[in-house]
Amino acid sequence: MTPVATPFFFYFLSAIALLSGLAVITQKNPVHSALALIMTLLSLAGLYLMLYAPFVAGVQIILYAGGIMVLFLFVIMLVSIEKSSREYQFNHQWHVAALATAVLGGLLIYVYVRGRGIFPNREAVLPETLNTQQVSLHLFNDYLLPFEIASLLLLVAIVGAVVMAKKRI
Amino acid sequence: MPGFHRGDYLLALPMMLLTLFALGVLLIDLLLDRSSKVINAWAAFAGLAFSAAAVHNIQRAFADQAARGEPSSPFFAFSGTLMVDRFAVFFFYLFLAAAAITILMSVRYLEVEDEHHGEYYALILFSVVGMMCMAAGNDLILLFIGLELMAVSTYILVGFLRRDRRSNEAALKYLLLGAFSSGIFAYGLSLLYGLAGSTNLQQISMALGNAMAPGKARVVPAVALVTTAAGLFFKIAAVPFHQWAPDAYEGAPTSITGFMSVAGKASAWALLLRIFLFALGPMRPLYVPILVFVAIATMTGGNLAALTQSNVKRLFAYSSIAHVGYIMLGLIAGTAFLPNPDGIRGILVYLLVYTFMNLGVFGVIASLRRRDIIGDELDDLNGLFFKAPTEAVLMLTFLLSLAGIPPLAGFYGKYFIFLALIESGHYALATLAVIYVAVSAYYYLRVANAMFMRTAGDRVPVTISPGMWAGLAITGAATVVIGIYPEPFLRMVNWSMHVAQNPTVAQLLR
Amino acid sequence: MTPTAIISIVTFLPLAGGIILLALPRGAENAVRRWALFVTVLEFFAAAHIAFMPGHHFSMSGWAMEENYAWISTPAIRYHVVLDGISLWLVILTAFLTPLCVLISWRSVHDRVKEFFFLLLVLETALTGVFVAFDLFLFYFFWEATLIPMALLIGMYGHGRRIYASVKFFLYTAVASVFMLVAILWLYAHTGSFDFTVIQPWLRSHPEVAAGNAGLWLFLGFFIAFAVKVPIFPLHTWLPDAHVEAPTAGSVLLAGVLLKMGTYGLLRFCVGLFPEAARAQAGWINVLAIIGIIYGALVAMVQPSLKKLVAYSSVSHLGFVVLGIFTFTAAGTAGAVYQMLNHGVSTGALFILVGMLYERRHTFEISEFGGLASRMPVYAAFFVFITLSSIGLPLLNGFVGEFLVLSGAFRDRAIYGILGASGVIWSACYMLWMVQRVFYGENRNPANALLPDASAREKLTLWPLSAMALIMGVAPMIWLSSINPPVEQILKNVAPASHMAYVAGGQK
Repeated sequence: MTPVATPFFFYFLSAIALLSGLAVITQKNPVHSALALIMTLLSLAGLYLMLYAPFVAGVQIILYAGGIMVLFLFVIMLVSIEKSSREYQFNHQWHVAALATAVLGGLLIYVYVRGRGIFPNREAVLPETLNTQQVSLHLFNDYLLPFEIASLLLLVAIVGAVVMAKKRI
Repeated sequence: MPGFHRGDYLLALPMMLLTLFALGVLLIDLLLDRSSKVINAWAAFAGLAFSAAAVHNIQRAFADQAARGEPSSPFFAFSGTLMVDRFAVFFFYLFLAAAAITILMSVRYLEVEDEHHGEYYALILFSVVGMMCMAAGNDLILLFIGLELMAVSTYILVGFLRRDRRSNEAALKYLLLGAFSSGIFAYGLSLLYGLAGSTNLQQISMALGNAMAPGKARVVPAVALVTTAAGLFFKIAAVPFHQWAPDAYEGAPTSITGFMSVAGKASAWALLLRIFLFALGPMRPLYVPILVFVAIATMTGGNLAALTQSNVKRLFAYSSIAHVGYIMLGLIAGTAFLPNPDGIRGILVYLLVYTFMNLGVFGVIASLRRRDIIGDELDDLNGLFFKAPTEAVLMLTFLLSLAGIPPLAGFYGKYFIFLALIESGHYALATLAVIYVAVSAYYYLRVANAMFMRTAGDRVPVTISPGMWAGLAITGAATVVIGIYPEPFLRMVNWSMHVAQNPTVAQLLR
Repeated sequence: MTPTAIISIVTFLPLAGGIILLALPRGAENAVRRWALFVTVLEFFAAAHIAFMPGHHFSMSGWAMEENYAWISTPAIRYHVVLDGISLWLVILTAFLTPLCVLISWRSVHDRVKEFFFLLLVLETALTGVFVAFDLFLFYFFWEATLIPMALLIGMYGHGRRIYASVKFFLYTAVASVFMLVAILWLYAHTGSFDFTVIQPWLRSHPEVAAGNAGLWLFLGFFIAFAVKVPIFPLHTWLPDAHVEAPTAGSVLLAGVLLKMGTYGLLRFCVGLFPEAARAQAGWINVLAIIGIIYGALVAMVQPSLKKLVAYSSVSHLGFVVLGIFTFTAAGTAGAVYQMLNHGVSTGALFILVGMLYERRHTFEISEFGGLASRMPVYAAFFVFITLSSIGLPLLNGFVGEFLVLSGAFRDRAIYGILGASGVIWSACYMLWMVQRVFYGENRNPANALLPDASAREKLTLWPLSAMALIMGVAPMIWLSSINPPVEQILKNVAPASHMAYVAGGQK
């Protein structure tokens, strides 16, 4: 299936992602920030789809936007944040931060331009219907041990949350 | 070979046993009442013992390999993601020993702090699982997941004293900075994957060998190197990535400070050596200058900051940072393309003796914790020789060993690294390092001075639990014995240096 | 030369005694003292009998006695210990002074007695080890091992500023020793061995290293460590503090033996391994030695404290030793070794005498004393006798050593001999003036009238020292016959210059 109007969708989704990202850090109301973050994540999911990676796009939406961001919103709405919703969002050192960001950005752009030739010029060769299967084949064959250890990591995180937060354990 | 084979089972058995026992501890903790929580410690100990037996099983496989006259080759498991070689076996034993001694020292400490929960022991076991993955990983993903498992367990353990504000703050700082640095580390790993098309360390090494050929643009590998190295330097607390260490060490429960400073550091070094020697081997001409700068900064920052500390745990945090600087010199030693085998041997010996010395030091500090005295100020050590003479003498042994005075164990660590530096012609670095060693003698002497030559603040005797005695006895004996008769331990280190698989590293075979 | 285990026995006997001492019950202090005395006296007899063992001839050149075992395989460190004429007498000196230290501390150390004697015994082992070690790593090992017991002795049992003195002592020596470590490691990296008997021939066969830049840096690395220990001006500032604040036994061992570690090292390693570099640098080293002689004497003259006066006299006397070593003459070097022994006996005795005075009056100030000779005649007699020995009166030991050194110095450069000889005059000045103020003249302090004379124990401590001072003065050949051969062997490597060829045959 040939892709349609690819440059347009790329710029469109990237613009949404960047503008939402800016909104995350500039919005005063935390709920607005969280919603802007969800927009960023959704546009990233769209970019993943364009790269013929439906599995990652799906995981992004289900886990990140659907799970983690919902958790964020729960916590934000449970905690009373009227005071912070009226505060100026930038601290006094934002000039230094902007300079550092510009330098870092310039460095990354330079690196990309100089090193463009080093990355293999690969087009996505997988038909998208097989993407999820390929991921699962790798996950359960080649990366079996990391997968299991990751489950341990989740267990530890849960245990840690309980240990930290529960009054009497 | 995809799939799960019998060999995989045996090679992953140490980790599996630890996991099983950790889960077991979590479960039986629910059945225990407050006074019998020490059974958790016993269960954790049993887990460590079983895991050690499993590691011994793997070691026997290596012995059989040698008996058959084959050259030493590592065992691969799980489609090449896990590589258990002698180097990994050495670190497995080290982690298990450190965890065992920590558990010995923790029981009474937690009872006094009134935070004696089973989750503590389970988290220690889980973090050892993570460490084992870091030491034996051959794949970027396994290394990263192992790192995260170790780190997250440690974050929680640092904050285990839930009612102590310093502990909470320490955990939060460690968590935030750790997560941030893991992110940078992951970015570096992703660049390495992009360059190589595979997450396997050997494949990455080959791809980097091609990428570093003269005439090619080296910016992307350079960025990959810098970001990966930054993440790793954070984990070992090298200057200027060390800011989390003094706060985390000070706020954490003292037994966990000991565990972090020893096992956490050893595992981070195992990870660093895996990545720098196996994956980034072809990039050595690029990373040696970075290491030189960081090593000098680390030795300077650690030693100079330790001179003015009044909190003993912070003092030893900075001393740990200084030791990291010396260890890094071992990696620097060598030509621009190949590391010096004595340097790598020095790193392994240093980590071995450092484990016992530092655990001993923090054990002594932990034993000073009483109901109303936290026991980590320098003044709390005043006159310790009169209240608890054996402990004071043991502490003196550890301090002198840390300062590198023969005939104690710490001398051998420094000796090999200096030898490697001189063999490879880094005379200026060697001189700088010995000057810093002399500087460090001053703050170690300050602690000894407080113990022996000042009068005690109060006359309350120091009670030491049997577990703590056992822990101090093991660490003290190790420090003295390794110093006087290092031969078996040096042979163990030589044995673990047979890391022949990677051709870049094959010349380390001795 | 047959291998024997006597060297190891003599080295580790005090340590074994110390470990057994730890097992004695707390509170049985008299038992502790007696056991320590027994061990140290046994050690002395064991060490002394080596000189008379049949089948080992110290009056021949070459190592008279050695033991060589493998210790660690990687890196190749061997347990290689050797006794020749020079080290034998230094070992015997150590063994001689330690029982006297035990005796002098009999009453003056009253709490933590067990730890005190344990540290003393460990120190004796470490000191003996330094003198016998022939593997550079082993040497460094023992060298560093002397620091800890000495620092603890000063810091735990010393006087007012003991902590400052102890830390200063430790840091000075530890910092200087690390440069020696770097030099040792360089030698290992290039020769593959730590053994002196391997490194020395290697250096002989690689003149581009030994005589070139590398040799100079290596020489300086070793030199710094020994210069702090001796001490050579201007690195001597740790010595007055350490000596004054140390307990009496500590001062005796510090002055009597520890300082000799430095001079022994200069002779054995600096001159023995790097003769070309030593020759080239001898000029400024001799100047520093002479400055040390005169400066030490002048500063001693104005000291109000008795112990500090003796401490600075040490600086002055050891300047003679350094001068003797770096004149590269047989007379000078043999005199230097002999002076090492003399200084051990006479300054050790001086510190013991000062300690006895402190036990009575708890002060070192000269102004507190006066006219003691009439109150304590026996003690005064010993004191004057030892003073004369320290000054270098003929018939006593100091004269022989100083004369040999000065004759060697004169042959090197006349001005060295002249200035060195002036040092003899200065030392007579301050010592005799001190004796006059303390023992003769008017007694202005009523407390002095009640002082008891030397007790039996104290006389027991002083008689051996005085006897040695006399015997070493009238019959030096007993010692020089075994010192001369190894000295000549060391000097054979130093590039022969015209004035060295004339061996001091007539001065004996």
